[in-house]
Amino acid sequence: MSVNKVDTALEMLNKQLNQPITTALEVCARCGICAEACHYYVAEPKPENIPAARAESLRQVYRSEHDFVSSIFPAWTGAERLSEEKLAEWADTAFLKCTLCYRCMVNCPMGLDTPLLMSTLRTIATATGNAPELLEMLADAAIEKGKDPEMFLDFFRDSIEDMEKELRVLTGIPIASIPLQKQGAKKLYVALSGAHTILPVAAIFETVGEDWTLSIYEASNYGIFLGDASRAKTIAKRIFDEAKSLGVEEIVISECGHAYYVMRWLAPNWFGDEFTFRVRSIVEVLAEYVQSGRLNLDASANPEPITYHDSCNLGRKGGVLEEPRIVLGAVTTNFRELTPNREEAYCCGGGAGLVALPEAYDIRMSAGKPKADQVKRSGAQVVVAACENCRLQLGDLNGYYGLGVGVTALADLVVKAMRLPGDKATMENFMTTKATETAEKTIDKV
Amino acid sequence: MSFIVTTQILVALALIFAVFAFSQRLQAFSKLSRPVDKASPKGSLQSGVLYAYTLGMAPWSKESTRLHAVAYLRGVAFHVGIFLGLFLLVTSPWLGSLPQGARMILAICTALGALFGFSGLIARSMEPNLKALSTRDDYFAVSIVSLFLASEALWLLLPQAQILFYLVSAAMLVYAPLGKIRHCIYFAYSRLFYGKFIGSRAVLPHTQQGAR
Repeated sequence: MSVNKVDTALEMLNKQLNQPITTALEVCARCGICAEACHYYVAEPKPENIPAARAESLRQVYRSEHDFVSSIFPAWTGAERLSEEKLAEWADTAFLKCTLCYRCMVNCPMGLDTPLLMSTLRTIATATGNAPELLEMLADAAIEKGKDPEMFLDFFRDSIEDMEKELRVLTGIPIASIPLQKQGAKKLYVALSGAHTILPVAAIFETVGEDWTLSIYEASNYGIFLGDASRAKTIAKRIFDEAKSLGVEEIVISECGHAYYVMRWLAPNWFGDEFTFRVRSIVEVLAEYVQSGRLNLDASANPEPITYHDSCNLGRKGGVLEEPRIVLGAVTTNFRELTPNREEAYCCGGGAGLVALPEAYDIRMSAGKPKADQVKRSGAQVVVAACENCRLQLGDLNGYYGLGVGVTALADLVVKAMRLPGDKATMENFMTTKATETAEKTIDKV
Repeated sequence: MSFIVTTQILVALALIFAVFAFSQRLQAFSKLSRPVDKASPKGSLQSGVLYAYTLGMAPWSKESTRLHAVAYLRGVAFHVGIFLGLFLLVTSPWLGSLPQGARMILAICTALGALFGFSGLIARSMEPNLKALSTRDDYFAVSIVSLFLASEALWLLLPQAQILFYLVSAAMLVYAPLGKIRHCIYFAYSRLFYGKFIGSRAVLPHTQQGAR
């Protein structure tokens, strides 16, 4: 059995060896300059937390399989044969000791793509049954849900109807609605589980008179956390098929980093020429509304010191760096940056699925220390994050390090700053309750 | 046949071996697939690639090289020395008539390259992080290249050291494709892939995004 696992892993490794991966395996000069680029290292400065050291484990096996000198004198290059113990070590490294934040790549003098190697380790770990069970279950549950949407559609419609009542109170628009499966709509908005990512955006869309429809699916894609392209593609295909059948022009992804990353940067490669939709994060759409003056905003509604955490998936991996600042500039009066920020921002420590893994709690609290320190130094009372994973992690860091901050989504601040004829107190109460419910649901799910 | 001619032939053979081994590697590499990105770019791919090969390598362009400016610049100077050293090696049969002043300047440049190489070696054996990352291959690779530069500097000052210079050069050329030194052929690819990533996604350079 163990021989099979090792063989499967080696077969998988050989299958994965394309030009970018081979380059990442070969080019490292082991200069160690990448050390402080990793939030794990900053939190705990140990050699094993250096990105180059983390990837070295894969390089050792690669050399033993593909390098002439290493096959004769393994000790010379530090080559090692793959064993089941090493496979377990790989899974541990890939799933718990790297959040695929890409900060090391931006900081490497070679531009070495260490996260690509970590993703490869995730792929191998998943293929050999070493991936965290919970991530597999969450991915499979999403796939099952996609097979028969009728099973949950009635229940979903009922919850949307409840939300519509709140929406009308909030916006003061008696015909405000949350359209579902609207044929020919311009935008398909893909939210997360829970009203907190639907209601504020619905309020914004309805106020500006957007032609939109809500996706019946959630944006989350746990397949990508597993490094399992097949499962990730199946999960993304539900949204792709829905967008295609409705004939929308654009897919708008909720404030969720990895969901945006998957649909914006990976899905077009999976679905080829049929993928004709524009994909944007809701953050980009909000920035467009602000710049075109479609929103009537009162920045004084958010007077407290506010800062912004750059989600790695949106920012460093997606280039959504200025858009949130455009929005924040219009809806706040006391915005301050975290230092460093944008492509140099620290990961919150909960990315790439870590926030969903109970066994990762201590690890992510430790790895999140650089972020907690940044927030503390900023003096902000509110941290805005355009990613659900980040918000959950920041919430936990807030409690763990006693930061005394509020953590919120960008759309929530926009709604707060919108001059609406409706009853905002109702909205705020509703959102607080729903956000708490969602957080509790997430914890229950975990 | 004189000993000098023998060593010249040795270097020529080593060079042929290195070129052949590197080209074999590159040929095998070119047969590997290169994923095509079909996602519509948010920024400019060309700007990203240009940045990756130019300003993106400036010591102030990223946190890591600002923090480790001395180590980074030492590495850059070492590599500049290597390129100069290789150029001088290939052109060495025709450099006999170089004026003494020019030989002296070139000797200083290559000697500095060697010095940076040896100081990197000391850092590698002293600093805990570097020590933990290093393999025997790392130590040997930096040593042989530094020795190559040192012997070259010596030859530029003392033509009698030509035999030593050629012997060290031959050893380095034979080792280059076999060990860590071969990372040189992947460097350009690594920067290319990096440039495409940051460019198409509008992460860098900053001007793509407007004022910051």
